[in-house]
Amino acid sequence: MAMEIVGDVLRGIIISGLLLAGILVILIWVKDKTARISTLRLFVQIAFVPLLFLGLLIGPFGMPQSPQVGNAPREVLLGADILGHTFPDGISLPVLACWYPSGRTVTCPVWQMQAYIFPFWNAGPGFGWGTFYSSSGIERLAILMGIFIVMALVLGRFFCGWICPFGLYQDLMIRVRKLFKKAHLNFSDRTSAALRQSRYIIIAIFLILSVILGSQAIFGAQLVPDTQPGEYFYSYFTAPFCQVCPMRSLCVLLETGLGFMDANFVFSNTHGAFYEVGYYVTSLNLIVLGVVTVVSLAYRRAWCRICPLGGLTALFSTFAPFKRVALMRLHKDEEKCTKCGICKRVCPTQVTEVYEEKGGDVTASGCMLCFRCVEMCPYEDTLKVKMAGKTVLKSRNWLEPSESE
Amino acid sequence: MKNKNETKKYVPEIPQKEIEELRNSIKTTSQKIIAENIERMKKTSKNRAKTMQYFDENANFFGQREKEIQAAKASGKKVIGYMCMFAPIELILAADAIPVRVNSGWYDASKLGDRIVPVEVCPIIRSTIGAKMIGLSPYLELSDALISVLTCDGMTKLSEILSDYKPVWTMPIPRVKDSAHATRFWREELLATKAQIEALTGNKITGKRLRSAIELTQRATKAFRRLQDIRKGAPVIMGRDAMLVNQTYMWDDIKRWTEKTEALCDELEKMAQQKMWACPPDTPRVMITGTPMIWPDNWKAPTLIEEATPQGVLVADELCSSERLLYDPVGVDEWTMDDMLNAISERYLMASTCPCFTSEDGNEDRINWLLTKVKDWKINGVIYYVVRGCMLYAMEYTRVKRVLDRLNIPVYYLDTEYTREDVGQMKTRVEAFLEMLSARVDI
Repeated sequence: MAMEIVGDVLRGIIISGLLLAGILVILIWVKDKTARISTLRLFVQIAFVPLLFLGLLIGPFGMPQSPQVGNAPREVLLGADILGHTFPDGISLPVLACWYPSGRTVTCPVWQMQAYIFPFWNAGPGFGWGTFYSSSGIERLAILMGIFIVMALVLGRFFCGWICPFGLYQDLMIRVRKLFKKAHLNFSDRTSAALRQSRYIIIAIFLILSVILGSQAIFGAQLVPDTQPGEYFYSYFTAPFCQVCPMRSLCVLLETGLGFMDANFVFSNTHGAFYEVGYYVTSLNLIVLGVVTVVSLAYRRAWCRICPLGGLTALFSTFAPFKRVALMRLHKDEEKCTKCGICKRVCPTQVTEVYEEKGGDVTASGCMLCFRCVEMCPYEDTLKVKMAGKTVLKSRNWLEPSESE
Repeated sequence: MKNKNETKKYVPEIPQKEIEELRNSIKTTSQKIIAENIERMKKTSKNRAKTMQYFDENANFFGQREKEIQAAKASGKKVIGYMCMFAPIELILAADAIPVRVNSGWYDASKLGDRIVPVEVCPIIRSTIGAKMIGLSPYLELSDALISVLTCDGMTKLSEILSDYKPVWTMPIPRVKDSAHATRFWREELLATKAQIEALTGNKITGKRLRSAIELTQRATKAFRRLQDIRKGAPVIMGRDAMLVNQTYMWDDIKRWTEKTEALCDELEKMAQQKMWACPPDTPRVMITGTPMIWPDNWKAPTLIEEATPQGVLVADELCSSERLLYDPVGVDEWTMDDMLNAISERYLMASTCPCFTSEDGNEDRINWLLTKVKDWKINGVIYYVVRGCMLYAMEYTRVKRVLDRLNIPVYYLDTEYTREDVGQMKTRVEAFLEMLSARVDI
């Protein structure tokens, strides 16, 4: 037993060491290419795609739930064991790294929350989702939220701006639009604020739905037919948000297109002609993806305005009492600011707090810490990114007309 | 169309002969003053950068640059004059026209302006009217059209008076800038001006042209900021020299100006390494703020400060004729036409710290910017320079003083006129202030 733990720790150290070395090599290689923050961010975003979907590179490519070609890579890579609690779904990062397709190395916490609430009252360990859980839902939920809150406190919505692959997808849409030299549209400040608040309504809706659909396990009575364990909708509807999330269809379509998933299997695992519900993709998923794609061609980072995951991360990093201890903050020096409005205009999620607030800590819940404002602020030292009180990035005199874009 | 003279709203009938006489006499005096000012600037500075030579030559209003613009005009280029720094230079440049600032600093011309407007009016306005009456300013004469931004009362009526002579495009500016509708309004004004520039020059402002115009001014701002950064250290350049560099931007070819300023910065950096100071490093560091000071005549306040005993050195200013002209860059997010126009409109409206704005918190932007300057440029004292009739600056004095008092920075209110008669008493006042400053520096 002890030897196994030592072995696990050693393996973990070696893997993370290799990853770090890889990141360092890439960073050094792109150093002069990424003097600009936005270029650096693009590199980091791209670098994280293979990291998040590392399983695709090393195979074998089983189904996430019931591996048919041997063990799914995530079981080798990230099936975690935390204080005796088996986490076959892996650890989650606050990014939309979809649970459904094969090959991912981390899990989306939104999926985990919904899935773990389902057997919430089902105290004993057991099987769910075709995987063995050694502990009850409430224990797993506690660990999940514990890790989630810690990550939100350390990096906050930095995950959204720099790591989330769906953010990268929307940034690519921005680049597509730029190719056609079209200007973006803006939501009015009121709409923008309303969208930001809608994130919490979405969270509430999917949590309540998880409970209702999991009523069999919770109340011993079935509120919606066919949702009993083993019945048709059981495995589909216990994660209600995932039935509309655009990332699921994007991941599945991309991986199927690249040949990492079997198209016949993916699209046969559905109910009805238009994937009304499907194990891998529903018609809602596809519609939402289509809408989000079109809208993010017009509005920058459209999905991020309503993303419940971003809302959750913001909840634990920009609202009291969490904001007092959150480490990554955006800071503004009131005296150096001439209110030129650049920060407001360049913000991809139309955050107005950085511009409007007088000074001090200006981290806002809509801010995904992409630091575009810090990059574009023309007054030295006015905007600063502080990590645990230490300045890691600050605005500088950028006046060298850029050749990029 | 009626008889031309009937349509003149303000211009008095002055015989052509008198106009010529007046022009010649003021021009001769002005040329003397320009030469004298430059001579005195050379004398004051113990070590003066050799690259200042270019700016000294360029400072001559009636010299090389006038001929250049004349030649450009002959080849079909248009010249567009502007009065306030809110005029969108980038749009003028993108339409392949030449921007020149046409406010006047001639003392004698302000007396002529008295024939049209009463003496209570701000002398800059009176002087500009006077200069136009007799055709004194070469750049004002060469302009095909004028952009007048209605910042203060003087500018508002000035545009009306000047429209007797030339097409004047007015751009009303919102007095409260911090709102979405203010930005929208100003953007509409900008688009209207853009259309007028396009119609006058016959050149369409395309995205590509506008981008290169923006990049041109960004480079100028970069060079300018470099110069300002050098002035944060021990003085290697006298304040008047730096102010002159900034002033020449208002009529020079911007590309050439940028190159020369970069060259000047190179030389100044070398001088700083060799500790070749322009004046002793312990000279009290003075900042001047207030009414714009326009070359060539209205140079008395900086001259008095830097030639006084004890001497002061101007290391920073907050004047729209100097630092405010160039410090803020156009920050473009995406190089689309739409965003470039947004960036230009915001750079002029939002970044400006002109006292013509007000807000709930009392033009906080200007106050904050002054405080930053005081700290970053290690200012020992501030001279608040106001000409008679300049209401906006005069009225903001109390607030500025109160804020600077809290930092324990002495402020001196220096009020004057467009006249040479008060130089003697101003000298006494400035020297008393500098005496106090140098005592504080010694402590």
